[in-house]
Order: sequence, then C-alpha cells, then structure tokens
Amino acid sequence: MRIDGDWALCDDGVIRPVVRGEVEAADGSWRAAPFLVDLGADCTVLAHDVLRSLGFSTTGQQNLGGIGGTTDARVLDTRVRLLRDDGSRVTFRGKYAALMSPEAGDLSVLGRDILGHFAVIADQPGGVVCLIRGRHRYTIEPC
Amino acid sequence: MERFVVSLPPPSTILEEVTDPVELAAAGAQREQFDRNWRWFQDHAAAIFRDYRGKHLCIAGEELFAADMTDEAVERARQAHPDDAGWFVWYVPLKKMPRIYANRW
Repeated sequence: MRIDGDWALCDDGVIRPVVRGEVEAADGSWRAAPFLVDLGADCTVLAHDVLRSLGFSTTGQQNLGGIGGTTDARVLDTRVRLLRDDGSRVTFRGKYAALMSPEAGDLSVLGRDILGHFAVIADQPGGVVCLIRGRHRYTIEPC
Repeated sequence: MERFVVSLPPPSTILEEVTDPVELAAAGAQREQFDRNWRWFQDHAAAIFRDYRGKHLCIAGEELFAADMTDEAVERARQAHPDDAGWFVWYVPLKKMPRIYANRW
C-alpha cells in the first residue's frame, strides 16, 4: 500500500510534509482536509476549523500537551480516509482529538496512531512524501 | 554495527480498506475537486498568507472565501460552489512563528 503526499507551503513560509485526505462528518459525508505528517505527535489531531466544518456535537474533553504547554481539545469518534496510489481508499477508525482554538494549530496533524501503520518517507531534498506498507518496501543504498 | 529493534504496540486506529464501488466513485470525484482547489491554494499561498492574517479561509471552486468565523467562510463558499465537494478550510494564524506540532494526550 502506498499513499503519496506533498511538500506544502505554510503561513510562515516553511515547507512542510502534508498528506491530503478526508474526515467523516457527523452526517456521514466526507470533508477534504490536509494533514501535517508528524512522527513526533502521539495522536492525530484535527484543526479547529476542520472540527467546525464536521458538524459534531463534541463530547469528551482532553488536554493536549506540547512544548509550549497544554491546550483544550475535544474527542471525536470518526474516520480519516486516505487515497492510495492505485486509486482505492483506506480508512482509519478511531478517537481523534480536535483543537478548540484556531490559534492552537492551523493544520490538522497526522500522528503515530495512523502513521504507525506505515513506513513514513519525508524526503525534502527529493520532494517525496510517502506512506508505505504491505508489499511496498523501501531500500537505502549508497550512491 | 549492532542494530537494536524495539517491539512497539500496534497503532490505536483501525485500518479498513474501502471496497464499496459507490463510495469509491464519490471519493474519486471529491478528490479531483480537492486536487484542483489544493493546487490553486498552493499557487496563491504566499499572497494569501500575507493578506489574510487571522482569517478563516474556505477554498472552493478554485476561489478563496475569507471570513472572521469558519462557518461564515464555509457558508459563502458552499453558496457560490454548491457542487464542489472538494472544498477545504484553513486558518491563517495572526502571527508568524516557528511551530512545534508534537502533541500528547
């Protein structure tokens, strides 16, 4: 299985690795959303604006901790859907945190609760962002 | 060199393959629209980030809708492009700053 991403320009002028996917909304439809590929994040987190667009009445409350302290988040039971290189799709069902403040994070984050299913390639010099598993493999060789 | 292998617990999410042809067709159409909106957004990103600090954005129909609230931006975008399922939202932070995205429950 292979899922391709992009290097995307963000608001601070920094290029970051992004995988684009969809999040299932409360009404069963899907909302397009870019995700930062972040192997340092323990869990996937939805940005505040994405949460607002999903139409959930949020229930559980969590604190998310980062370098700068903690921030309020809500927990959603939903699915994230990603596009495979062969055109098919794969979904990830789970409990996802969603930020309650827009300033807490502009981009949704794909954390290790999803990335842990894959080998993750984020090759900035080569312009490659890629998640692979199953019959897809990578090799590292001297040039 | 000795290689250390750590045994890790499985990820907490459940991976499922989508096999429903109706869902796959709808997802394909949505993705084509998302691709177009994303390309447009990235092509204009530098100017958008410069001009819309602190604004909530919705990109639909390869067009930008900016507002003070997410819902307002989405509503305007959906009214202008009701057939575009590939719209997406983005918040432009008020200030530029380095970001550490790592999070922990």
